Amino acid sequence: MSAVLSRESIHLVERDDTVHVVAEEYFYKTESYYTILSHEIHGIPVAPGSSAVLDAYIVPLCLERAGSAGIPVTDCTISHSCAQYPAVLYGLNYFASSSEYTVVRDSARGKETVRHITNNGKYPLCYQRLAEGEYIEGHVAIFGKSCPEDDDICGYARSLYEVFGIPLVTMVFVRGEDGARLSSLAPTRYSSLSNAEKTLLRAYITHQEFL
Amino acid sequence: MSRLGIFVDRKTLSSAEQLNALIRCRDAAESMDHSVEFIFPGDIKKIPQMDALFIRARTDPMNVTYVASRTASSSGIPVIDDPSSIQICSDKINMYCHLKKHGVAIPPTEFLSKKEVSPSAIRDLFERMGSPLVLKEPSTSFSLRVEKVRDASEFQRVARRFIRMSDWIVVQGFVESRYDWRIGVLGGEMIYACMYTIPSDTFKIQDSVNGHVVYCGVESIPPGDVPGEVIRLGIDAANAIGDGLYGVDIKNSNGDACVIEVNDNPSLEGGEDSLYPQVYEKIISYLLER
Repeated sequence: MSAVLSRESIHLVERDDTVHVVAEEYFYKTESYYTILSHEIHGIPVAPGSSAVLDAYIVPLCLERAGSAGIPVTDCTISHSCAQYPAVLYGLNYFASSSEYTVVRDSARGKETVRHITNNGKYPLCYQRLAEGEYIEGHVAIFGKSCPEDDDICGYARSLYEVFGIPLVTMVFVRGEDGARLSSLAPTRYSSLSNAEKTLLRAYITHQEFL
Repeated sequence: MSRLGIFVDRKTLSSAEQLNALIRCRDAAESMDHSVEFIFPGDIKKIPQMDALFIRARTDPMNVTYVASRTASSSGIPVIDDPSSIQICSDKINMYCHLKKHGVAIPPTEFLSKKEVSPSAIRDLFERMGSPLVLKEPSTSFSLRVEKVRDASEFQRVARRFIRMSDWIVVQGFVESRYDWRIGVLGGEMIYACMYTIPSDTFKIQDSVNGHVVYCGVESIPPGDVPGEVIRLGIDAANAIGDGLYGVDIKNSNGDACVIEVNDNPSLEGGEDSLYPQVYEKIISYLLER
């Protein structure tokens, strides 16, 4: 099986009687989404599921499901405006992507950002309040495995894989004094992977992950 | 007394017809001794306090209505439209897959991925399916991204536009007709029927003609005047999707009835149910009294 991680390539990996769809992203109405859907329609066990990927990329649903699985998550408010800064802002509409968030530190910049994200108030947004000194960090998870030093992050990667079944995903966290809280799940370009991550992903695709 | 939440957004409230329909729904619920609360996107956290949720805003898996529906569903609250119905009906690829799988009659239908759009593939489609063909962007509503194409260059031009919004598109054989049946189905039973008369200068129920938006005519039809095969097909199509509330669009040219689409969140503000005064009572009973 080819393990060339070229842009937009999709890899089907059969493990444990399930077809695992490996792709850079799983957005609604993309090739990867329809690959999943085709398997579901034909009754072939597939991971991730089409409703799981919808949930994963819609921030409030992602946090609801992750929180129910015991993963620490940020408080998320759906609104047409942002009441408190600093905050992380995500769009919540047809054109929004969980990979596009904006950290806003003050209300002056916030107003302009909110206007942009909500398309002048047409659509809602969701915001997550940040405490002073908190910042955003991202970690890649490959079949539930993540490479950072932090054991907590590795545990969250495993749990998120159990919840959503997404083979390749970027976990976006808010890091504060009390540790990391999940902010969102986002797609991952193959080109952004480290060499170690590429090696791990190729190993899964070629069924050599045990090496 | 139970609490019914009606999920609305600014757009729902922007038309007098929609407002009127919402008031009829609220009045029906109150006459059945239930209380009603209108829930806006910012009030989503109130949903778990409701006993049922009725969504009356444009549904799509990528907008806030899906969050509302999932919130209700994960809280164990009956909801129309349920998340699965939104996911299936908002995407014509998914919807036609379900209809095909259940053997429901639809026009000749194929899916084309962006990688497959080529002059030879287009030629092949015209040879097999005839001309004209109808191209649909999967998440279109109100016929917005539905186009009739007669030759390869037209096909390529429209396909290129739709593929910017979806990696797969729908290619369908054209079925001539001047009207569509709309069968309203709830929980596997017909609750209303109407006819959408297509404007003479288009083939869609809504279109822009010479810069003017033209709308279809709506006529509520009593059950005795609806052909039996149309009712049966409407119910079969709805059952192929789920057991919620659907508006099934059917063409019945030359007696060969076929389903054009199944809509979740069907319109009820255009007079579709004017001969069926119990529609809202049935919806509310379904949500709150089952």
